[in-house]
Amino acid sequence: MTESFVNIRSSQVRWLILLTYLLGLIIDSMVLLNSSLQILPPMTLLAVLYWSGHFLDRTYFIGAFSLGVLTDALYQTTLGAHALLYCVILFMMIRNRLQFRTYPSWQQAFIIGLYLLIYQALNTLFFNPVLDDGTFVPYWSMPAAGILIWPVLSGILNKLTQNTP
Amino acid sequence: MQFIIAFLLSIVLMAADHYGQILGSLRSVLLTTLTPIERAATFPQQIYNLITTDFSSINTLERENQQLKTEMLLLKAKQQQVINLELQVQRLESLLGTTGKITNQNVQIATVTFYSSNPLSQFLTLNKGNLDNVKKQQTVIDSQGIMGQIIQTTPTTSRVLLITDPEHQIPVRVQRTGQRGILSGTGHDNTQLGFIPVNSAIREGDILESSGLGGIFPAGYPVAIITQIETQGDNPYFRITATPIAKLNQSHKVLIINQQEDENWNNDFDFDLDFNLKSQKDASSKGKEP
Repeated sequence: MTESFVNIRSSQVRWLILLTYLLGLIIDSMVLLNSSLQILPPMTLLAVLYWSGHFLDRTYFIGAFSLGVLTDALYQTTLGAHALLYCVILFMMIRNRLQFRTYPSWQQAFIIGLYLLIYQALNTLFFNPVLDDGTFVPYWSMPAAGILIWPVLSGILNKLTQNTP
Repeated sequence: MQFIIAFLLSIVLMAADHYGQILGSLRSVLLTTLTPIERAATFPQQIYNLITTDFSSINTLERENQQLKTEMLLLKAKQQQVINLELQVQRLESLLGTTGKITNQNVQIATVTFYSSNPLSQFLTLNKGNLDNVKKQQTVIDSQGIMGQIIQTTPTTSRVLLITDPEHQIPVRVQRTGQRGILSGTGHDNTQLGFIPVNSAIREGDILESSGLGGIFPAGYPVAIITQIETQGDNPYFRITATPIAKLNQSHKVLIINQQEDENWNNDFDFDLDFNLKSQKDASSKGKEP
């Protein structure tokens, strides 16, 4: 979101984008292994939102759709359900991305938190997850965790993008 | 425009997956793609286990070894009883003139490589797939009881839907009374027994075993133990909660059961229970001959 890489095209960081998707999928898989990690937001979604907010030359719907379908396979949910959620959240992001780019990192984090809250509400509507006392709080705290994670994530990716030759 | 295409494609995909089975191969391809990612996700845990195992004391290992030896001895003793019981059943069947026969079952040992304890779904991933002749709907058990059934296979892995998953149902009967019912998963390591009328002689602590109805699960395997029985106003059925007997979150090695005899079921790690029983039976009958 800094002006120093406005001139960088997304094709120049293609491998970095794919790497973030891959790492995102690995972290999302780790969340499945441990119920206490459910507080973590979907990293693949955060990665797609980051890249769509930073590069205006692409919409990243193909990436969001593909990652959503892979998430469906990973979570054993109906194929296309997560893809739909990812595309809807990405659409909301793209509608406001010009404005989003101008915000400081902390302000962006709150907008991302709002998107994650909508994602989680749609998730509940779609999949009707079984939440007990141990999982209810982590499940609904996920958007708050996203607010904390976003500045760190965007900071790292900003740094990596700026260092791209 | 791209959003509309992606949106419509998602809905078509959902409808095709929900109402038809045509996307089974697509899911299999996706799972094959995800296999290395799942392995990478378990890597930190494997390192942790490796480190903690290396630091475990010799005393602990000796104790564990002793425990396993005792367990093996007990199992061998039980196996001898099973052989005798099988012979008795055959004798009684021949007296009655019935054609009943204890079902022959092949089993295959598999290792749990990945699992999900997510509120959305509860499953395991095993290290055996199509190449090992694992097929959909095969039953998976551990040393205690039924864990679930195979719902998806890739060439090298297979996915098991646990009996606690909200989408899973298994026909069962109460071991003590023979009362039949349907056991449904409720998530979070619990199940619910449905369709048991309030006038049934059922009590807490009763063991539920698979009834074999429907032909998917073999009959007679322990599934769950009843932990809570409630009545709900005028509802003619009990609300019964049952806890799975199998160690769903602890078992590392599991058995995949194939009910049908299959000549291609050849694997170095396969263990034919029936063959083992027969060979021991033959040996014992030869020993009894004058």
